[in-house]
Amino acid sequence: MKFVLSILDKFRPLFEPGGKLGRLFPLFEAGDTFLFTPAEVTEGAPHVRDAVDIKRWMITVVAALAPCLLFGIFNAGRQYNIANAVAGAGFWHHLGRGALIVLPIVMVSYVVGGLWEVLFAIVRKHEINEGFLVTGLLFPLTLPPTIPLWQVALGISFGVVIGKEIFGGTGFNVLNPALTARAFLFFAHAPQITGDSVWTKIADPSKVAEGFSGATPLAVAAGAPKGGSVLTALNEAGFTLKSMAIGLEGGSIGETSLIPVLIGAIVLILTGVGAWRIMAGGALGLVGAAYLLNALAGPDRSPFLALPWYYHVAMGSFAFGIVFMATDPVSAAATNAGKWIYGFLIGALIILIRVVNPAFPEGVMLSILFMNVMAPLVDYFVVRAHIRARERYLGSFRRA
Amino acid sequence: MSATPIRIRKGFDIRLAGSPERVIVSALETPDVAVIPSEFPGFKPRLLVKEGDYVRRGAPVIGDKTRTGLTLTAPAAGTVKAVVYGARRSIERVIIAPAARDEAESLDRFDAAAIARAPREAILQALLKSGFFTLLRQRPFSKVPNPAAAPRAIFVNGMNTAPFLADLHVVIAGQEAAFQAGLDALTRLTDGKVHLCLDADAFHPSPAATGARNVEIHYFRGPHPAGNTSVHIHHIDPIRPGDTVWTVRATDVIRIGRLLLEGAPPADQIVALGGPGVRVDHRRYYRARAGGALAALLKGRLYDGENRVLNGDALAGEAVASESYLRLGQNAVTVIPEDRDRHFMGWAMPGLGAFSHANLFVSKFLRPLRRWDHGTNRHGSRRAMVVTGLYERFLPMRILPDFLIRAVLAHDTEEAVKLGLLETDPEDFALCAFVCPSKMDLPAIIRRGLDEVESEGL
Repeated sequence: MKFVLSILDKFRPLFEPGGKLGRLFPLFEAGDTFLFTPAEVTEGAPHVRDAVDIKRWMITVVAALAPCLLFGIFNAGRQYNIANAVAGAGFWHHLGRGALIVLPIVMVSYVVGGLWEVLFAIVRKHEINEGFLVTGLLFPLTLPPTIPLWQVALGISFGVVIGKEIFGGTGFNVLNPALTARAFLFFAHAPQITGDSVWTKIADPSKVAEGFSGATPLAVAAGAPKGGSVLTALNEAGFTLKSMAIGLEGGSIGETSLIPVLIGAIVLILTGVGAWRIMAGGALGLVGAAYLLNALAGPDRSPFLALPWYYHVAMGSFAFGIVFMATDPVSAAATNAGKWIYGFLIGALIILIRVVNPAFPEGVMLSILFMNVMAPLVDYFVVRAHIRARERYLGSFRRA
Repeated sequence: MSATPIRIRKGFDIRLAGSPERVIVSALETPDVAVIPSEFPGFKPRLLVKEGDYVRRGAPVIGDKTRTGLTLTAPAAGTVKAVVYGARRSIERVIIAPAARDEAESLDRFDAAAIARAPREAILQALLKSGFFTLLRQRPFSKVPNPAAAPRAIFVNGMNTAPFLADLHVVIAGQEAAFQAGLDALTRLTDGKVHLCLDADAFHPSPAATGARNVEIHYFRGPHPAGNTSVHIHHIDPIRPGDTVWTVRATDVIRIGRLLLEGAPPADQIVALGGPGVRVDHRRYYRARAGGALAALLKGRLYDGENRVLNGDALAGEAVASESYLRLGQNAVTVIPEDRDRHFMGWAMPGLGAFSHANLFVSKFLRPLRRWDHGTNRHGSRRAMVVTGLYERFLPMRILPDFLIRAVLAHDTEEAVKLGLLETDPEDFALCAFVCPSKMDLPAIIRRGLDEVESEGL
């Protein structure tokens, strides 16, 4: 270790202001502090500091995402093997096939997005922010496994540049960069990101396994025939509450299963890294909106209205979105009351878009982006109320 | 008198190692003593002595060009050895070589029973002429008050939760009468109340403190910053726009009492010496010469290696050069080792040796009761501020610190005042800065905000 440290110290002057490669200092700093914690001491009060830093914080989110990534890899491989009727495929075969499908997407996202990140850090002379480690992984997990790699590159470029850097970089962006990237692809290249055929890679269309449809539970539920039962429609397509919760089905890479998302949520809540108030608010919003629509259901209306709330939790990407996307601290509400409201509205909007709006099968991305925009407003009202409460408190002390 | 303690729930004790033992040891030898003017913001020093002059203890050494009547006095009798100038010929300190006989100037001496009835002007003049008036602070803005203005109330802080300030109940031993005399003097300075804030869970509380007369006693209980003056004021009688209150530390009230009873500034000063940089068997209270040399006090008492010496506590104290001297209002010296060690891939390690408020290191679960030998390492790089609401868990006041900080950063003084800026002191944000993962310099931001509001006027 001493050896590596001495090499870093030897090259440091080269990257410092005035050095030959001074412009590349952010790059050096990123590598240097990746290998060793920085040597800097406090400059004033407080003279001692907590061991936690942004690196630790962001790495925790990446760790919380790991179960989703692993499950996503397995599921993408398994779906491929089933759809293409690969004979004798077992656990390791699924995993290997999934890795071949998913890892290139993740790598393109990290490499292309990372290049933009470094470029902006050098030009604008700010440090490379570890938050990108999360963005670069979140984005691929929201994509279908069949996404063309050039679209991954295009999407993450848009997300990093337009979603974050033009606002001034981390901490100043309004929208979640990963969702901005996905929204761009969703509207610019819809055929590759939505529909029934994008969720599973088909090697040879003539050899598709018998009975394979590729439709997601959301598409099935939305398409349930009038007068029928939405649960029957789901069951006939092979979707039960249990199967949807386990999530061995078509969907975006990281969000089909409830189990790894819940593991991630537990990690985020126990470590305090993810805002539990947003997650709890989101769950309440979902349940509330689902009950409201249940009450509106009738024989001549869409049977989707009657779907119980726990089905909504199990299907689609509600859980993934509320746990990992909505809790991004930069784009979320920051007051405690604001977090409840923000989460609640996201949960309720997701259900409304899913069930009532025929244009979009899923509402998670749009709900979160919409509430990203609204979060400052939510906080504004909470802060106004806080100031009024402060005045009341100060006024409650009688003066002799 | 309120008997039920005010319970403070938000906050966090940083569990620093090096708590000083509750005994007072004599450490009076020092080669010289010093008068230091720079510690008083807004003070324009004018030299009243020259090198070679003989001064008695309590004789004026430095006057104020603006605030008439305030003088700083010699902490010991002796010869003016040197006047040290700093940048732009400002007086940094006046060094006095103590004489063998410590002759004291006779200032106004008060009878213990008479203080509570003395005229305000008499007490005020005694404090101004001795320089002890600078032990008082004014809120808002946390600066030496304007003596002409009468404060609405005076808050005496007899509780510390920051590591490590001197504990009133230790320092008060043998000075019970002086403490009461000091409190009596304070009651003459305000038409309102004098509030004495004490720790409900104090170890061996002194009856002289818990039974203090002529003041209103309040008890607080909870983790740091439950012992901060801002927190006390906020829960007892918060500052409203237009208010002026004065604050003072209880250990300084003892010194004010001694000044008035003895008719001269006390020749000694009790300081708590603590922190991980101090040798284990030397972590205790010392009776040192007032204004004495730090080097004399610290000699042989610190661990080898590079240390940072602080006037005050580890969170909100001020770093001072080790060749410096004890300040007038100083009741603690905290010493922390400078820590420039780099650790391999710290972000990925389980962190058995790391101390944190967050559940992100195994030490939190495996070593919950350990006291930590913190060094001064920042433990991470500076990063952009993200408004997360994290700070809120560490400031037990009706204040949203994230939004207050943001308003100050945006120079929106009007909003900052609405959000409670005037109720705060930079020290209140030291704990928020401690836990901040972006390593923000919050106390400096708050100081700047207070200065801006003061210069703009309310």
